Amino acid sequence: MTDSPQNPTKYVSRNTLCIKFAVTKLRIRNPLNPNYMVSLSRVNVKCAPRFILVFAALLFSSISLFAQPNGEMLFKGNCASCHRPTEEPLTGPGLKGVQERWAGREELLYEWVKNPQKVLNSGDAYANKLYSEWKASGVMPAQAVNNEEIDAILAYVASYTPPVKAVADNGDGGEVVEAADATMWYVVTALLLLILVVAIFSLASARKAMAMAVAREKGQEYDGPNTYAEVFGLWVRRNKLLVTFLIVAALVGVLREGWYGLAGVGVYEGYKPEQPIWFSHKVHAGQNQINCVYCHNSAEKSKHAGIPTANICMNCHTAVNKGSITGEKEINKIYAAVGWDKETRSYTGETQPIKWVKVHNLPDHVYFNHSQHVVVGEIECQECHGEVEKMDVAQQHAPLTMGWCINCHRETEVKMADNGYYDEIHNRLTKEELKKYLNGDERITASDLGGIECAKCHY
Amino acid sequence: MASMNKKYWKGLDHLHNTEAFTAQANKEFSEEVPVEDFLAKQEKESAGTSRRDFLKFMGFSITAATVAACETPVIKSIPYVNKPEDLTPGVANYYASAYYDGMDFANVLVKTREGRPIHIKGNKGGFTGGAVNARINSSVLELYNTARVQEPWLNGEATTWGKLDAKVVSELEKAKAAGKRIAVITNSVVSPSANKLIADFKAKYELVDHVTIDAVSYDAIRTAHNTVLGARVLPFYDFAKAKTLVAVNADFLNDWVYPTAFTKGYAAMRKPETGLSKHYQIETNMSLSGSNADVRMTMKPSEEGVVLAAIYNNIAAKLGGETIAANVGDWKQKTAKIADDLIAAKGSSLVVSGSKLAGVQEIVVAINKTLGNYGTTVDINQPLNIGQQDDAAVAQLLKDLNAGAYGAAIIAGTNPVYTHAQGNEILKGLSKVAFSVAVGEYADETAANCTAIAPDHNYLESWKDAEVRVGELSLTQPAIQPLYKTRQFEDSILAWTGSADSFHSYMKATWKSKHASLGLLGLADDFWHQSLHDGVASYSSAAPSYTWVESWNAGNASVAVKALQQKASENFEIQFYHKVGLGAGNHAANPWLQEMPDPITKVTWDNYATMAPADMAELGLNLEIGQELPASVVTLSVGSEQIEVPVFPLPGQASKTIGLALGYGRGNNGENIGKSAFQTAENGDHKKDVNGNLMPIGVKVSHLQQAVNGSVVAAAFGAAVAKTEKEYALACTQTHHTVMGRESVVKETSLAVFQHGHKHEYNHEHTLPVHSAANGAEDKPVTEVDLWDAHPVEDIGHRWGMSIDLSTCIGCGSCITACHSENNVPVVGKDEVRRSRDMHWMRIDRYFSSEEEKVRKAGGDFDYGLMEEPEANPSVVHMPMMCQHCNHAPCETVCPVAATTHSNEGLNQMTYNRCIGTRYCANNCPYKVRRFNWFNYKAYRKFTEVNPSQDEMGRLVLNPDVTVRSRGVMEKCSLCVQRIQAGKLDAKKEGRPVKDGEVQSACAEACPTNAIVFGDLNDKNSEIRKMADGDRAYNVLEEVGTRPNIYYQVKVRNAEHSEA
Repeated sequence: MTDSPQNPTKYVSRNTLCIKFAVTKLRIRNPLNPNYMVSLSRVNVKCAPRFILVFAALLFSSISLFAQPNGEMLFKGNCASCHRPTEEPLTGPGLKGVQERWAGREELLYEWVKNPQKVLNSGDAYANKLYSEWKASGVMPAQAVNNEEIDAILAYVASYTPPVKAVADNGDGGEVVEAADATMWYVVTALLLLILVVAIFSLASARKAMAMAVAREKGQEYDGPNTYAEVFGLWVRRNKLLVTFLIVAALVGVLREGWYGLAGVGVYEGYKPEQPIWFSHKVHAGQNQINCVYCHNSAEKSKHAGIPTANICMNCHTAVNKGSITGEKEINKIYAAVGWDKETRSYTGETQPIKWVKVHNLPDHVYFNHSQHVVVGEIECQECHGEVEKMDVAQQHAPLTMGWCINCHRETEVKMADNGYYDEIHNRLTKEELKKYLNGDERITASDLGGIECAKCHY
Repeated sequence: MASMNKKYWKGLDHLHNTEAFTAQANKEFSEEVPVEDFLAKQEKESAGTSRRDFLKFMGFSITAATVAACETPVIKSIPYVNKPEDLTPGVANYYASAYYDGMDFANVLVKTREGRPIHIKGNKGGFTGGAVNARINSSVLELYNTARVQEPWLNGEATTWGKLDAKVVSELEKAKAAGKRIAVITNSVVSPSANKLIADFKAKYELVDHVTIDAVSYDAIRTAHNTVLGARVLPFYDFAKAKTLVAVNADFLNDWVYPTAFTKGYAAMRKPETGLSKHYQIETNMSLSGSNADVRMTMKPSEEGVVLAAIYNNIAAKLGGETIAANVGDWKQKTAKIADDLIAAKGSSLVVSGSKLAGVQEIVVAINKTLGNYGTTVDINQPLNIGQQDDAAVAQLLKDLNAGAYGAAIIAGTNPVYTHAQGNEILKGLSKVAFSVAVGEYADETAANCTAIAPDHNYLESWKDAEVRVGELSLTQPAIQPLYKTRQFEDSILAWTGSADSFHSYMKATWKSKHASLGLLGLADDFWHQSLHDGVASYSSAAPSYTWVESWNAGNASVAVKALQQKASENFEIQFYHKVGLGAGNHAANPWLQEMPDPITKVTWDNYATMAPADMAELGLNLEIGQELPASVVTLSVGSEQIEVPVFPLPGQASKTIGLALGYGRGNNGENIGKSAFQTAENGDHKKDVNGNLMPIGVKVSHLQQAVNGSVVAAAFGAAVAKTEKEYALACTQTHHTVMGRESVVKETSLAVFQHGHKHEYNHEHTLPVHSAANGAEDKPVTEVDLWDAHPVEDIGHRWGMSIDLSTCIGCGSCITACHSENNVPVVGKDEVRRSRDMHWMRIDRYFSSEEEKVRKAGGDFDYGLMEEPEANPSVVHMPMMCQHCNHAPCETVCPVAATTHSNEGLNQMTYNRCIGTRYCANNCPYKVRRFNWFNYKAYRKFTEVNPSQDEMGRLVLNPDVTVRSRGVMEKCSLCVQRIQAGKLDAKKEGRPVKDGEVQSACAEACPTNAIVFGDLNDKNSEIRKMADGDRAYNVLEEVGTRPNIYYQVKVRNAEHSEA
């Protein structure tokens, strides 16, 4: 619990992982099936105590946000796109030890963060030295932070320790173990089945041999079954009721599977197409902790989250020209797209748009708006897109079926607080609804306000 | 009888009945059928497939194909390399711009998505007050017309701009060197920068004549003012101040002078609560303006002068002034009341006339002058710059062209060969010019006959400015990069004057100098940016000084009146007009406008002659026109010209007259102006004539316009009508003309009753007899009788609704095309419209009044008698009709798959992906507003020539926020739910309630008269709430108990019943 206020995202992630796994086990393939929802809610109930803990942690962290600036969040929001909290350089220098470097000149450091150009113009020797070193990245843009917030950022940088690799790997390892368990289970089952079959056959042979021996003893001709088929036929004739039951059961099973199979047509959960550039969300969003909306910035404004335009890549990649996994190979593709000449460090003007493959495809008759969910609903990207920060290759996490949408609309409480729009809507609730809401008896979910009506998404 | 038993043998074997023959005869097949072999496994392997195998394989392949087809389609997503700063994919941008085509002008906002213009709406901050007509809001589709000239042409071959410019400059220099004149023929240039540019051009080439030829000439008004005022001004008519209004053959709501601004002004005086103007219309055809008049009278075109002279003389008799010597006949008495009303509203009355005779327009000037309307309703201090055509200059040009005085001609923005009455003369004259270059978007009737074509930008690709009225500056800015290798007219002129400047910077410089010369406050740059943002800028300048003539000489007037009178004969007179859809014909290839029903006749996709039903009955022509009832075709003979046209019976058409629309018959000689301008056959292919040319829709009639006293008037006299045996099918969307006394559909009252009467006198509540224990039967208001529980929409959340004011709705159809554009409504073409399969989500029902009234017969039934027959000069009601979003919707209860349901915001939702097409809902809808998709309009070949979404460019106009519906589903008005959702989202994101007026349906936004009000009925302070609670508000078919969210406002007519 010690690191939870600082690192709540990780904590949530672990929980989501556990839910994901549980769901995979319990899940029935058709999300339209009411059982699916039952199973989901069952999981929720199971995990409820843990959820409460997580929410408490989140709450705590957000409360502390009001009390004092959260250095980590500020760092990620303002600095992380160019600076690392370590000594490693990114677009700008690594911030580790920045306080030492500016020791005794704290006031100037504040000024430097808030208005670098002014400090440069003042002729400060160290600032100008920094500028000439990092000329290629340009002057740092002025940051809209106050001194208190700068202190918080500096405190975060000072206290920052890079995550230990082994810890990060733990999650993956866990999954592997589980996977291995599953395989083991299959092997054992198969073995047991094999033994059973062998046993049946040997028993049948033995029984026939004995029956023949008995017949010989009695001096009679053996008239029992000779082949396994005959044995089976006899068995069937003797157990008509059981056989009928089995046939019906099998038929039901086949129909059921067929039905769910058809229902699954067009559901591409796990769709993971090959992209023209081997772009890793794990590197960008995970290791470098770049905020999702830094690149997918239209998610807050538009119905489309938007595939980042190549000029956004260049914000960092003018300086970062070597990746940790693919080296220069993939980054060079961005340069080719935007027409960046590495040698002269200038744009040639010849551009070539990148043809990404769309991962999440909704049918044309559905209207989905990212900004509604991200800004108004305050839903984390990960809730629908999964743990993108752990994916090397982006893949479809959710089934994106109507059942899945509706389920969420049924269960998600509308974020009514501090929104003038909903203040007005309060006045226009039915008396019963309002009473429930005010008493806290029941949550007002999206569906209570008409969120599962057809024309909310289909028009 | 032996012969009866004659036996025929197959051969000797048979005759002798041999054993082998008998054996053989018992077998059906002569050889053994190798069934066993065929079915044997061995054989099967070698001999191919058995039937069973075939079925097995087929079953497998179908399954496999189905499964394979379900594979993920790989969809590419290509982001910008460098995203423009102000563009977010998925968010619309709006640009303030202006539309001007020589006939229509409006300040507009262009909605773009991902860089594509997709919708045009009025700019409420503009000079036209946000008013647009159907022609203007449909113009967005014309941007994507693939028939536009896509690269420069020289001598019938494609060329480059460099080569064309070199050629043009050398030809101009050659003409100059040879001492020949250069003609620059344009429509009225209202752009200050372009005028300056043309002056530059004149300075460079010296012998340059700039002649204006418009589609419609307003020379008569300018000349009349010149006579009495010494200045060729075209006044601005302020309809918003006109308490009494008389229009004589002037359709100011449709095509007369400055219709957008006039409509806006007119609407301001048509609100019964705040004062209702008295509108007299005296006209030949039933025009859009006439259909809105309080009192409408009919006259022949030859009576145009007499009517005005009678009004003037009546006024002069009371107010003093020289009278006009003319035999006014019974018009003296007929116009007495008009004259009295005009005098009563002295200083705030207005008389306008569409006459093309300067003498007649002098009478109009005299009337308005006598009534003291100059300075109030007639403004000459800030006159109009449109309608600059000088008929004398055009006549001179024609003479000089044919005399070979011109060495070169530049024709821009005008198509005189088609629009002008003497188009053929102009064509002949042009052929005598050594080099002619046309600047336009199409290789039209004029451009196709020029040496070169310098293709022009669409207005959505251009930088332009305009000063339509003095002191009112507007800007047009590009909303998209040019789609083709075109260049705007002004840039071409710059290139030909040898300037390397672009018109954009030229214009900016002009504006900055204007800023300086007008002494406006602030920085010139700020002025430019602010003007560009707003789309408009205004300035005030000192009023020009005019000197009125001491005493008006009525000589000109009486000459003109007599000249017109002499044209009268026993024969028919033809009055030409412009359709609300096609205008002067420049929109002929716009399928939205072709499919928009004419506001009066409700006919689509065609031209026809309109005649009074009584005249038609006399000639034995078909009076009933419908799906299976074609119109009769007649031969119209005017002088030496003969044309064949179908005839449509139009109540309100003056007796012995014919109405005929200009603007049809475009592309007569195979000019490529767009595929929708040509007739299609039943299978959807273009019809071709004997020469293999495409057949245009309708016939060209501009050349039939005759001259009176040397001036071309919009009429022809002495026309003979002869019935032919031919018949022609018209696609008419409304074949029922009267409302049959159903007062719960249309409620109408007079101003006197409205002002002094109680609500129940003009808007009574409907009741139902209900069983009551005490009284046996009791009448209860319909609202208190329910079969089932109400949807909880009152006071809960939002409740979207609409109010439509029948008093201010002028029936212009702007809402229909706006809805087309917003909601991706498919175009279905003439043949499908004829089968009543038009897809308009919004229609405007037009009802004529009938003289008959229903009579209660013995036994309680009603006798409707001849109520279906409209009066000879009926009054008209325009009633927009779309889904009423009933809270007790009859359609919802009959849908077997719950595809149409009710939202908690009061919307009747239609879910296309759920609909299985039973059409029960359409059958159960009392308003008949549901439309069924009979075809896959976006792909089926029948619609290739008409539906823009089948065109690779045309489909760029589709609204990406609205589904393109497919075959087999029902669709209808959604109350622009996509806009409601977007409006709510904006409010939620900003954390504030939805503001009243923030969310607008496309129709409400497009309504030039604000007759349609849209909003949240649960917002206590909203305009819609006030409208719905008003005394005039009612629901259509209230007695059915559907409880619609759409309210109508009772029509109030400023007339006594006897007057109408």
